[in-house]
Amino acid sequence: MTPPMIAGSASLMATWLAQESNGSFSPAFVDGASSTIAHVLWLIPAIPMVAAGLIALLKQPRRAAAAGLAITGLAASLILSIIAFVHVLGVWGSGAATREAVTFNWFDLGATHMQMGWLLDPLAAVMLVMVTFVGLLIFIYSTGYMAEDENFTRFFCFLSLFAGGMLGVIISNSILLLFMCWEIVGLTSYLLIGFWYHKPSAAAAAKKAFLTTRVGDIFFLLGIVWLFAQTGTTLFYNYGSGAIEPNALAALLQQPAAWGLSAATAIGLLIFAGAAGKSGQLPLHVWLPDAMEGPTPVSALIHAATMVAAGVYLVARVYPLMSAGASAGGSTVSLTTVAWVGALTALFGSLVAVAQNDIKRILAYSTVSQLGYMMVGLAVGGVAIGMFHLITHAFFKALLFLGAGSVIHGCHEEQDIRRMGGLRHEMPRTFYAYLAGMLALSGFPLFSGFWSKDAIIGSAFHWPLSKGPFVLLIIGALLTAFYMMRQVGYVFFGPWRGHGHPHESPSVMTVPLSILAVFAIFLGFLGTPAWPWFASFIQGEPLKFEAAWYAEPNLMPLMGLAIVLVLLGLGAGWLLYVRRNVTRPASAPVHHHAQEHGDEPQHEAGDLVDVLEGAAPTVWSWLANRLYFDELYAATVIRWYAMLAWLSDWLDRRVWGGIVAMVAAAFRGLGWTNKTVDSQLIDGAFDKTCEELVTSGGVLAWLQADRSPLYLRVLTVGALVLAGIALVVATATGQVRL
Amino acid sequence: MNTFAVNYGNLFSITIPETILEVVSLLVLVVDLGFLRKSTQPARMTAACVLGVIGSVLAGLWLLTHSGTASFAGDALVLNSLVAAAQIGILLLTALVLLLSFQAEFSRNPGEYVAIVLLATTGMMLVAAARDLLVIFVALELLSLSLYVLAAFAKSSALSSEAALKYYLFGGMSAALMLFGFSYLYGLTGTTNLNGIAVSLASQGLSPLVVVAMVLVAAGLGFKVAAVPFHLWAPDTYQGAPAPVAALIASGSKVASFAVLVAVTGSLIPAASASRGATWIVLLVWMAGASILLGNLAALAQTSVRRLLAYSAIAHAGYMLLGIAANTPQSGAAVFYYALTYALTTVGAFGVIAVVERNMGSDRFDAFAGLSRRNPLLAASMLIFLLSLAGIPPLVGFWAKFNLFAAVLRAPGVGAWGLGMVIFALAASAVSLYYYLQVLKRVYVVPAMTDEPMAVSALEQLVLLVIALLVALLGIFPSALSGWIPLG
Repeated sequence: MTPPMIAGSASLMATWLAQESNGSFSPAFVDGASSTIAHVLWLIPAIPMVAAGLIALLKQPRRAAAAGLAITGLAASLILSIIAFVHVLGVWGSGAATREAVTFNWFDLGATHMQMGWLLDPLAAVMLVMVTFVGLLIFIYSTGYMAEDENFTRFFCFLSLFAGGMLGVIISNSILLLFMCWEIVGLTSYLLIGFWYHKPSAAAAAKKAFLTTRVGDIFFLLGIVWLFAQTGTTLFYNYGSGAIEPNALAALLQQPAAWGLSAATAIGLLIFAGAAGKSGQLPLHVWLPDAMEGPTPVSALIHAATMVAAGVYLVARVYPLMSAGASAGGSTVSLTTVAWVGALTALFGSLVAVAQNDIKRILAYSTVSQLGYMMVGLAVGGVAIGMFHLITHAFFKALLFLGAGSVIHGCHEEQDIRRMGGLRHEMPRTFYAYLAGMLALSGFPLFSGFWSKDAIIGSAFHWPLSKGPFVLLIIGALLTAFYMMRQVGYVFFGPWRGHGHPHESPSVMTVPLSILAVFAIFLGFLGTPAWPWFASFIQGEPLKFEAAWYAEPNLMPLMGLAIVLVLLGLGAGWLLYVRRNVTRPASAPVHHHAQEHGDEPQHEAGDLVDVLEGAAPTVWSWLANRLYFDELYAATVIRWYAMLAWLSDWLDRRVWGGIVAMVAAAFRGLGWTNKTVDSQLIDGAFDKTCEELVTSGGVLAWLQADRSPLYLRVLTVGALVLAGIALVVATATGQVRL
Repeated sequence: MNTFAVNYGNLFSITIPETILEVVSLLVLVVDLGFLRKSTQPARMTAACVLGVIGSVLAGLWLLTHSGTASFAGDALVLNSLVAAAQIGILLLTALVLLLSFQAEFSRNPGEYVAIVLLATTGMMLVAAARDLLVIFVALELLSLSLYVLAAFAKSSALSSEAALKYYLFGGMSAALMLFGFSYLYGLTGTTNLNGIAVSLASQGLSPLVVVAMVLVAAGLGFKVAAVPFHLWAPDTYQGAPAPVAALIASGSKVASFAVLVAVTGSLIPAASASRGATWIVLLVWMAGASILLGNLAALAQTSVRRLLAYSAIAHAGYMLLGIAANTPQSGAAVFYYALTYALTTVGAFGVIAVVERNMGSDRFDAFAGLSRRNPLLAASMLIFLLSLAGIPPLVGFWAKFNLFAAVLRAPGVGAWGLGMVIFALAASAVSLYYYLQVLKRVYVVPAMTDEPMAVSALEQLVLLVIALLVALLGIFPSALSGWIPLG
């Protein structure tokens, strides 16, 4: 379907194989002398982090200062990112691709040098611009959304810290540095999901997110340690001696691990486990929908546009490792795993999204599903195809979340789509923006999601190993169009079924929506089959116009199929949820229910029964309960831990405690015997001891006023003076150069 | 970092003397607390001290009869003739201290006292044998913690508590600095082995971080040997601790600390640039100069004999640091000789002080007034000890100084600076004669307040006389000891 991209990834593969055979470096990427912008690239994450530190020092009522600092900081990062991007563009225009690594020595331990550094290449440049730009819009939007919150200052502190961590993940050229930033991102995610920690559900969701992603992170850390042990470096690229450059990869491929896997494959799988945790892939997806307990801008920024994409970005970053050892036209064990996990996740997410009633949960499952698409894109089509969907998705999903936030705001914090309706009249600006996002997500022709998703589906069709992922993906695409139409039907069409009177949100919220909408519509044109700008840029190849793109075999039928599926999904949704005019049953009064937790209260008085639910209640309840994944985990892993904890507690109390009590009793008995034998002596000794204690106390008190602190100060000053003398002498005699 | 096959049989055979001490220390506790609970205080003290002395002697005999070299875990612990000599010296000093403790009345727990003295001795022996940063640190901590406890052993004396607390606070901080320095050294060289550090430092040269590490290590070891500016604990501790404990701190602990200082010096001076300007040597020379100056001047102003000995100890540490800075095998042997004879003399001096204190309740100058009339033998012993400390021939202190300064001057490349330092040290030791004579003036010239004889037990008298004889005889036949000390 997308021949230039297929050709692109094939040529990437060929290039890689060529490197493997002759050991030379990729002709596409030139490790040029580092430019000024590459040297100051660290400022991009550092500025938001410093801003976060400053905001942390502010007092709670200094709202304007906090928001101002956060926005200024991220704006500065955006400007630097654009400069970096333009620089990369310029190098690309001159026929090469940049890969500028700046490396510094973190510490030396004997003969071991721990190096760290950052990297500027097209992949990082694109991500930098996307994260800072979307982030900035969401920061601005947040000033409106969070205006009433008393912890406004803290919120912006966390947001800034998050932005710093995320940007750090992007520019890291060291897998260890990346992991550190990754953990900052995980921490801020925890803090922000639990931002309204007074809600038990939010606190629980934060904990769940932290623990679930931690499962993935353990594997990731194992992978890092293994990679470091094998290659002796944590750097990705280091002018030929990096961990994912051909020399190291060749050695990793030779190194057997277990079960017939090479070390390269095993490490790749471990790293993918980390990525799966962060990016909500099966079976570690359970935290992501619950994370919607956080404020909506957080959901938009972290759990739609950026952080969850970090896993995808990680796989893209270590792609040479993942694809190492691929035979011509084939795939590797790691990539095959990624493809299948991604495809299953894509279908799972879209299935579950059909049966959700919370406006943000629908989007959350949609995110899970779309992340699955990205993973498949990486696995079957290469870095460019997966990343392209990441970028377009970031824009339209941020748009959808912010639109949902605007709706929630307008409906007085109502999140259940059954208690909304007809909002297109009351909130026209939100409606049109949302519509753009929804069409982009559904893959409506010419919208951005159409191009990026079709590239993935096309690559999956051409995948030589199996057609399985392709089938899963097209079913997912159909469902995606359907559930989005369902949501829009509930929210924006039909009569108003909610409480009170809805209102449009202020401009500070709708303007970012409009900007995002423009991108949601037009961004896709950067990666059309005829003009694959994005793929060429990422891969550092010369840009060319594919005049005969339509002649590529299977392209037109596949594109036609995709369009038909989208129209089918949208049409079905339209028929079921717009034409039928979902209305509230006249008999039942409406009650406002605070949604306590995601476990859907399926039939509250006054809520609509979904048409599909009426048709197939069993299937519906499985979907509405997310295929009982949470229940499964609760019955297995969590239960085991609870039992282990109970056992430990029991051992402590009964067994060890009993032993201690026995010993204590024995000694007490001994003491009692002694006492009865010579109580006089002990009494006398006790009195004497008391006297001594009193005396010593007096001594201590006298000491405190004495010169002990002075002694210690003299000791310290003496050491400092000696150090000064030693350094001066050593410098003067030329032994040390300061 | 290198890993070594750990041979525990080897470890055991190297540490048999230490093991003997450990076993005896447990035995002392068992005997004292188990069998002698109902006995009188002096009987318990006597039994415990006798056991302790027997343990020390046994360990010493084992060392004397088993010569040869051995090492454990890649030189983490070594046993060679020099180490054995140091350990025998330490054991001898411990035995003397215990012999002088028979009459001590500061504690109602003689078993614990002797057991901890033996633990401290174990620490000293390990310090002398250790050639690995971690082992050095652990051994030093064993030694230091035991000494903190011992310094506080006179529980009913406010001065003793104060001494212990000051010693402890100061020691804790120095240990922290030293450990920090050790961690830098490990970070810079990737090994904790002194030989490995020497090799690595020789190849990587000097960086500011190495200098900082050296200063931190100097702080820790400077505390142990009481060198300026890490000396402030010494006067208070010498004054407040029970007399035998002060003797132990001033003697065995010093010998062990100088032994490890020599070992560390060997590894911190890169062989390639063994010039006189090496930073570690510069540090040692500055500390030595400051110690000699401050120790001798401050001693002039003292009226308490214990404090006087403390400041003089600082000055002596300065002389020995000079010898270490010279960094030749000869100077190392000279330092060892100096440390051993100085420790012997100091134990004797503290023995006299203990007797005087027990009779007069004070260690001030006037308590010593008329000692020659009240107990001529005691006075004669004190005369020998103090003159030896001042370096008057033919006592052993003279030979120690002579050897030391000669070795410094003979070291290659010392030049005018070395000569200057030696002249300075000689001038300072001439000053020291003044304050030692201040004490001797009280002993021999100033009339006593009472003429009743100074009560002293036969054993104490005997031990002090033996020490005094040793000090005099070793001075007359210096080769008796120096021939026995191997070159490092």
